Amino acid sequence: MMPLYLGVDVGSVSTNVVAIDGKGEVVDARYLRTQGRPIEAIQQGMREIRTATSDGEIGGVGATGSGRTLAAAIVGADIVKNEITAHAVAALYEEPQVRTVLEIGGQDSKLIILQDGVVVDFAMNTVCAAGTGSFLDHQSTRLGVAIEQFGDFALQSTSPVRIAGRCAVFAESDMIHKQQMGYGLPDIVAGLCEALVRNYLNNVGKGKDLQGPVLFQGGVAANAGIHRAFERALELPVTVPEHHGVMGALGAARLVRDEALRGSFSGSAFRGFQIAGHTYRTRSFECDACSNACEIADISHDGEVVARWGGRCDRWQYRERERTAVSD
Amino acid sequence: MRDAVIGIPRYLSYYSFAPLYETFFRELGFQVRLSPPSNTDILDAGVRETVNDACIPIKIFHGHVAAIKDRVDFLFVPRLAGAKMHYTVCPKFLGLPDMVRGSISDLPDIIAPRLPMGRDGLQGLRSLYRTGVRLTGRRVQAMRALHNARRALGRRINQIQQGGLEALGFDQPRDADLTVALIGYPYMLYDTLASGGILGQLRALGVRVVTPEMVSTREMRRHARAYPENLFWYYSNRSLWAGMHYMTSGLADGIIHVTAFGCGPDAMVNKLLELESARYGAPFMAITVDEHTGDVGLRTRVEAFVDMLRWQAARKEGLT
Repeated sequence: MMPLYLGVDVGSVSTNVVAIDGKGEVVDARYLRTQGRPIEAIQQGMREIRTATSDGEIGGVGATGSGRTLAAAIVGADIVKNEITAHAVAALYEEPQVRTVLEIGGQDSKLIILQDGVVVDFAMNTVCAAGTGSFLDHQSTRLGVAIEQFGDFALQSTSPVRIAGRCAVFAESDMIHKQQMGYGLPDIVAGLCEALVRNYLNNVGKGKDLQGPVLFQGGVAANAGIHRAFERALELPVTVPEHHGVMGALGAARLVRDEALRGSFSGSAFRGFQIAGHTYRTRSFECDACSNACEIADISHDGEVVARWGGRCDRWQYRERERTAVSD
Repeated sequence: MRDAVIGIPRYLSYYSFAPLYETFFRELGFQVRLSPPSNTDILDAGVRETVNDACIPIKIFHGHVAAIKDRVDFLFVPRLAGAKMHYTVCPKFLGLPDMVRGSISDLPDIIAPRLPMGRDGLQGLRSLYRTGVRLTGRRVQAMRALHNARRALGRRINQIQQGGLEALGFDQPRDADLTVALIGYPYMLYDTLASGGILGQLRALGVRVVTPEMVSTREMRRHARAYPENLFWYYSNRSLWAGMHYMTSGLADGIIHVTAFGCGPDAMVNKLLELESARYGAPFMAITVDEHTGDVGLRTRVEAFVDMLRWQAARKEGLT
């Protein structure tokens, strides 16, 4: 049987694991909530993938997302890549001619501009998370509309109301005001979708020339209301890929598959599916060697250090040979 | 008076004029004490002591003052100001000694000579001379100290222009395939705390880095004359001209602008750099740094930018 390749994307809101075969086709994809416990989310993902792929041989692992260093240490990754590159790679497989990738995740949003199959520009939201998935989550709870139905709700609207999208706090007070003025819920929800898109285009997409084909990725792409608002604002058709929620993991898996087929590494660093059953001990402490007082995080399993980071210097730097020394 | 200790905060203009400040006071016979390199204690103290609206570099500076004020007899907080009508510095530099006096209590005597800044840097240093005379009562010695201090600064500037980052004490990768121009103010680029360690990240990615300090005075003047607008703040002009230099000379594969969150002058610099790099087809990215210590966002952006440059280079190679 041909080996499979895993992509692990640990984000602030979701942790995704994807398995692809040697041809690059998706064998299984898992979308899990991180819920502030990335290690458990990774373990759960590995458990599910193991069952779905009936314990297949793994030819390589790619890690991405804001928790990629942690994921790489726990799972044992051959490639650790930033989310921008991973998303671009996944988008190019989906649509080789793609010019624009819109990606809205739980706590950040990205815009990637490509030309002839190469990233030529990108942008990420700066210091504020207004207009990302977390904000939508919060508003769906407040309005009493399940997040899964949020988009369809917006589609029922015939005349969306205008909502200030610049800041989540302002948007919320604006929405409360509109509710109290008696506007219909679908119109408010649709207005929120348009505000979010407007904010994204003004903030992340400012000054950029967005051309088709356009792909819309990330967890928020499931929201039909946002999808329609993007098509209206851009006056272009916007495609939501089948695996839109796990494109980062998919990109990481495809990157590691390419490297494996190119022979860039021999024998995967994958630690095996049994890591799903391991108990990890995490602790943190303040280093007292100098006035930087770095917060060092240390993750171990069975008394063996798996990962350690957080220092500005290399005093606490964890090295691979340290691990072998301990396990010898 | 002799043997008195002069404290110099290791931040802001210190990153531009360190040899001038240190040599001058040593030659006058004082002991010079620097605040430690920026660290989290300094940042915390700065955030605590400074007015809330100030930018992060000003807060870090206040932290440096707090870190040495109790161990020195005098504190040197120069007042950088414009030498002529059309050149000046950010008002926060202009009012720095007053800000420090107003925010931090129990300070030693503050020495705050007015240092006039022109297009090419410090202009007259008469006020520094007068400071020397006032502190020691010796005119000849003050004159000689100033002379030697200027020479030390000149030597240092030449060393950096010729020797690059290594002359500033930063290693560069040996076999770098890419060169990135890191544009920003000296106190943003060379201070590991303020920059979020971006120099180290680029080195780890195998990228060579050039900065405005590596652009010769001649080149700077050329772009100053050629550029239709004068930004009028000394440091901002330097960022813009250096950016133009690296965009037009082909000496860098991409431009990264490092800016402090909420920096007023940088609102202009960043937009101009963005527009100019689009015009010259130079890949450009802006990095905004603030108080947050989590560096994963910065790392992601820098890594993605470098990936993008390598990807483009590989594609160009494939075409030819």
